[in-house]
Amino acid sequence: MEQPPAPAPQSTEAPVKQQQNPQTTGPAPQMAPNGLGPMDLPQIPNPTLMDPEAMAAILPTQSFIPDPSMMAIPMPDPHMMAMPLMMANGNTPAAPAQPKEISADDIALYDRQIRLWGVAAQAKIQSANVLLITMRALANEIAKNLVLAGIGSLTILDDTIVTEADLGAQFFLAGVENPVGQNRAQAAHPAIQKLNPRVQVHIDAEGVKSKGPSYFAGFDVVIATDLDSDSFNLINTATRLNGRKFYGASTHGMYGFLFSDLIEHDYVIEREVGNIATQPKQETRTRSIIDVKTRKEGTKNMESVTKRELFSTWFLASDMAGLPEEYTKSKRRLKSVTPALSCLRALWEFTQVKSGQVPSNREDLKMFTQIATQKHKALGLPSETLSSEFLRSFLQNLGSEIAPVSAILGGQLAQDVINVLGQKEQPIQNMIILDGNTMESLMYPLHPEGALGTLQLSLASNEPLIPNGGAGGDVMMGVGMDGIPFDPTAMAAMPIPDGFPMGGAMIPPGISMPIIPGQIVPVLGQQPANGTGEHLPTPDASIVAGLPAGTAPPSQPSAAPNATSAQSQGQPQGESEPPKGSST
Amino acid sequence: MTAMEESPSSAAQTAPVTENGPSDPSKQQQPEQQENHENPQKPNPNATPSARSQIPRRDRFNHQSLGPSLNSTVKQARVLMVGAGGIGCELLKNLVLSGFGEIHIVDLDTIDLSNLNRQFLFRQEHIKKSKALVAKDAAQKFNPNVQIVAHHANIKDAQFTVSWFRDFKLVFNALDNLEARRHVNKMCLAADIPLIESGTTGFNGQVQVIKKGVTACYDCTPKETPKSFPVCTIRSTPSQPIHCIVWGKSYLLNEMFAHEIEELKKESDALKKIRNAVGAPDFPKLLFEKVFDADIERLRSVEDMWKSKRAPEPLRYEKLLIKTNELDGSKDSILADGQKVWSLEENLVVFKDSLERLSKRIIELKKTKDAAAPDPVIVFDKDDDDTLDFVASSANIRSTIFGIERKSRFDIKQMAGNIIPAIATTNAIVAGLCVLQSYKVLKGDYSQAKEVFLTPFGSARLMAPDRAREPNADCPVCGVFNATVTVDPAQTTLNDIVEGLLRTHLGFGEKEFVLNNEIGVLYDPDETENLPKKLVDLGIKDGSFLTVVDEDDEHPLVNVVLNIEEGALSNDAIKFKSSTAAQPAIPQKPKKAPQVEANGHSAGESNGIVEIDSQSKGVKRQHTEDGGQPLKKAKTGGASSDDVVVIEDAGGAIIIGDD
Repeated sequence: MEQPPAPAPQSTEAPVKQQQNPQTTGPAPQMAPNGLGPMDLPQIPNPTLMDPEAMAAILPTQSFIPDPSMMAIPMPDPHMMAMPLMMANGNTPAAPAQPKEISADDIALYDRQIRLWGVAAQAKIQSANVLLITMRALANEIAKNLVLAGIGSLTILDDTIVTEADLGAQFFLAGVENPVGQNRAQAAHPAIQKLNPRVQVHIDAEGVKSKGPSYFAGFDVVIATDLDSDSFNLINTATRLNGRKFYGASTHGMYGFLFSDLIEHDYVIEREVGNIATQPKQETRTRSIIDVKTRKEGTKNMESVTKRELFSTWFLASDMAGLPEEYTKSKRRLKSVTPALSCLRALWEFTQVKSGQVPSNREDLKMFTQIATQKHKALGLPSETLSSEFLRSFLQNLGSEIAPVSAILGGQLAQDVINVLGQKEQPIQNMIILDGNTMESLMYPLHPEGALGTLQLSLASNEPLIPNGGAGGDVMMGVGMDGIPFDPTAMAAMPIPDGFPMGGAMIPPGISMPIIPGQIVPVLGQQPANGTGEHLPTPDASIVAGLPAGTAPPSQPSAAPNATSAQSQGQPQGESEPPKGSST
Repeated sequence: MTAMEESPSSAAQTAPVTENGPSDPSKQQQPEQQENHENPQKPNPNATPSARSQIPRRDRFNHQSLGPSLNSTVKQARVLMVGAGGIGCELLKNLVLSGFGEIHIVDLDTIDLSNLNRQFLFRQEHIKKSKALVAKDAAQKFNPNVQIVAHHANIKDAQFTVSWFRDFKLVFNALDNLEARRHVNKMCLAADIPLIESGTTGFNGQVQVIKKGVTACYDCTPKETPKSFPVCTIRSTPSQPIHCIVWGKSYLLNEMFAHEIEELKKESDALKKIRNAVGAPDFPKLLFEKVFDADIERLRSVEDMWKSKRAPEPLRYEKLLIKTNELDGSKDSILADGQKVWSLEENLVVFKDSLERLSKRIIELKKTKDAAAPDPVIVFDKDDDDTLDFVASSANIRSTIFGIERKSRFDIKQMAGNIIPAIATTNAIVAGLCVLQSYKVLKGDYSQAKEVFLTPFGSARLMAPDRAREPNADCPVCGVFNATVTVDPAQTTLNDIVEGLLRTHLGFGEKEFVLNNEIGVLYDPDETENLPKKLVDLGIKDGSFLTVVDEDDEHPLVNVVLNIEEGALSNDAIKFKSSTAAQPAIPQKPKKAPQVEANGHSAGESNGIVEIDSQSKGVKRQHTEDGGQPLKKAKTGGASSDDVVVIEDAGGAIIIGDD
């Protein structure tokens, strides 16, 4: 597999084209104050150079959009939706702009890292546009690491307000006069920009839910932090539609996770030829060697091994996907799986039901424990590894953020982003669970059965399994037009009724699923554009009709996930801390 | 802001009262958390019902996740961080945000451009300033409730005595060289203060907790020594680029612009003449014709040497010079591209130009020096472009002669300067781990303190926490009995130490033993003339270490390491004061096992990882965690220690170090 071709002239034309395309403007570019002179500033590469018409010309003949409800999706251009399908190589529907030349000044500044990953990777890094959503401690770490590494541009999207508790671990707020009450991203901006004047740092103080899917097309990588599951799902759906790489991550005090959906990612390992020649082959369920090139370097025989990793969406990986075979077949390995995985899955589900709230009262804790126990079972994990001691510790940490754990997870996430941009190293696949108490950072490839990578969507489109799939379409009608802020919950609605195999297929038999993903389809049109995270109207009964018998329908179904709910997650009320001796 | 030091018990409440909002609803849920958080206005150990609300809001998450007890210990902790570089910047941020009560930083170094890609407390405008001082100023803003003290100094300075170390609860090493790491290791063992040791190289890193008698110390496993090359390889038979780079850096540059190396002097008479021509118009030509033509001719004439390998081919200066006229690029365009592998002609251009620059400098230095001052020298510095260009071009010309591939200046800089790749993310991860380890240490929970290695591209984990290794009983550094003695060096005699302290107080009695200091033997049964001397006359002063080696053949005691502290003694009759109780139980040396040095350890090195076989025969290891699991040990910055090239020869080793 060759490197994705990206004709050189594109990058020079980029700024012009970008202006012609209102979809990609996003935040107004802010020129950074710097002492380096304009020549040092990277150009804004435009990752969205695809000509939609050109794309249409190579669309598969059979329609990808079988269901009329899909048409209601507020996409500026329906062809955009097909984009992921056409990409045999997930590296990019709109290939990242041609890497720029690196100047001698760049080499001097980035000397110590170029010695690790080389000039070519550095050039790719410097051409990358990254979106970072929610500016809490974890995102502070990620922003620091990416800006130091010299990415092309960083856009920070956050519409929440700084509180006193934010000062605890968010070091970019240091030195800001009266930070409390300011927008969190704006307050952090000066300190981030000062880290590296060569990086364009943009602030977008709007909420993520005010953004249409095309907004995400303007970035090579989208990193969403400290949000609830619905929000991760929405954003990931948008990145899939645009063929962009997605990371989702949160910390809760001592615990944290990071998830990646790179769709399909190719990278090249350079190494000395071993005794046995490397051959193209399938290495794991998700990874294959697709090309091997050998060459002579001095006296050594070197090979460039191009590998491809396939990924799954947040929607499919976060809850339904089981552990890979090498775990399920080994009692020892199942026993070593961290119970934090079950607890995180329980948390994602809990917050869906409870409008983004974390467990706060005795009843909540009981419910949380029940869900966690179910998740644990569904993963096939032995019940003794989910101890009450662990549950208590996990719950006690909810909503908290502390410097060391944020630093570790933020370092791991940023490093993976850098490796992915440089296409040089094995990426994370696809879930990392960090436990600051045991100092473990465990990786679990979580994938549903069936197709992976780009095929995951197209396969799904052939099997609309949800009986009431049309309902989502109905409620979505009339929402969103090109250029008009629309409620992105529509994006979540889109693939779920129509797109994904659901029902029994993904759920291990015998496991009662109190919530099925269909529930996250919010009721559209009833949610004010900037919802406050307050209780929302009960959803259309048809949407939650899939509930298994015996499970009480949630009385406060999830609203459109939004930054406000994330915020409330970040500021647990006192009662969110579990009472002593609760849980189990 | 320093209320916490005055009253440790109120450390958690250092924020102004106004910050303590009336409405922290969690207090109702947390009655059990109140007892450690009394009102600062009433330093009363008994909790008041409103105490929970006194937690500064900015500290609420630390309080929530660490729990009141540990969080309060952190707030009171006085800690030392040695090194404010890659790991140090990240670590300081974490320590300050975590609210460690008082943080001392020691760093000798100043800020360089190449630091800025990862040492995020520093900016362009800080270049050449003290790392310790700039880091302090930058990090102070992160949390006003923390006191930071910066020392722009070498941690090996005499001011940083064992008793100074002893005043810290915990020490963090954030260093980049072996020597300083070993020093802090030794000091912490002597002071019996826990040390959190860390290191990174590229994507790899590690963190370990060192606690005397509980876990292995830094020196419990042998460390890599600097790379060494036989002299003949460097001088006569280079086969790799590094051989030519070492030749350019440690031999040719020094011969022309610095000291002459004694061992090589006999060969350098001809060179001396050339050296006298420094600055003359034909200086480059003379030097070139000597080292790249005449010397090579001579080498080539030793036919036996070239039976099995390619003979070197001398270069003709004039011929090559003509060819440089045909070059497309100017001198400046060649110099501007350090990534490119220069052609032979381009290297000649750089050779000539750098020689001219160096010559001008040395002439200028000679002109301006004091008459009494020693002759000025220019030695290799990877960040000094003149020396780097000279070394790069002469190494490449020599490589061409010997049929070795040439390297770019960028690559030569790394090899000549022993540059270790370093990135922000690895440092951030390792620094985060250091703080997590410190929580275990502050809780006294050493069983949970791990030795953690980063496994960046592992298939199942990104970090591998391993149970902390137990001390190596044979370790010369931690397998000793530490004692501190306060003396007045002007009054106390060596005899006071030998008779009073060792034989009587520490219970050596009639045993035969040897007393050494860093230099040599001070006393043994046959060497008694020093006994009446005052310590000051033996060069023993505050901070000195003396080692007592028991000569008993049957059951020798472990070495006793005496840490000397200068201090007032209550009256003239008292000649020393021991911190150790009389007749302590000094353990015996472990049964002598066959010495395993390098041969016990696999030297297999791949991809920056050195594997050390934990099952090495002869090394007694109680920890048998996973049976035969080899310990993966990341190569840390230790090897980066100042670039010393050891050249070994039949006649011994010449160590050519620059600075």
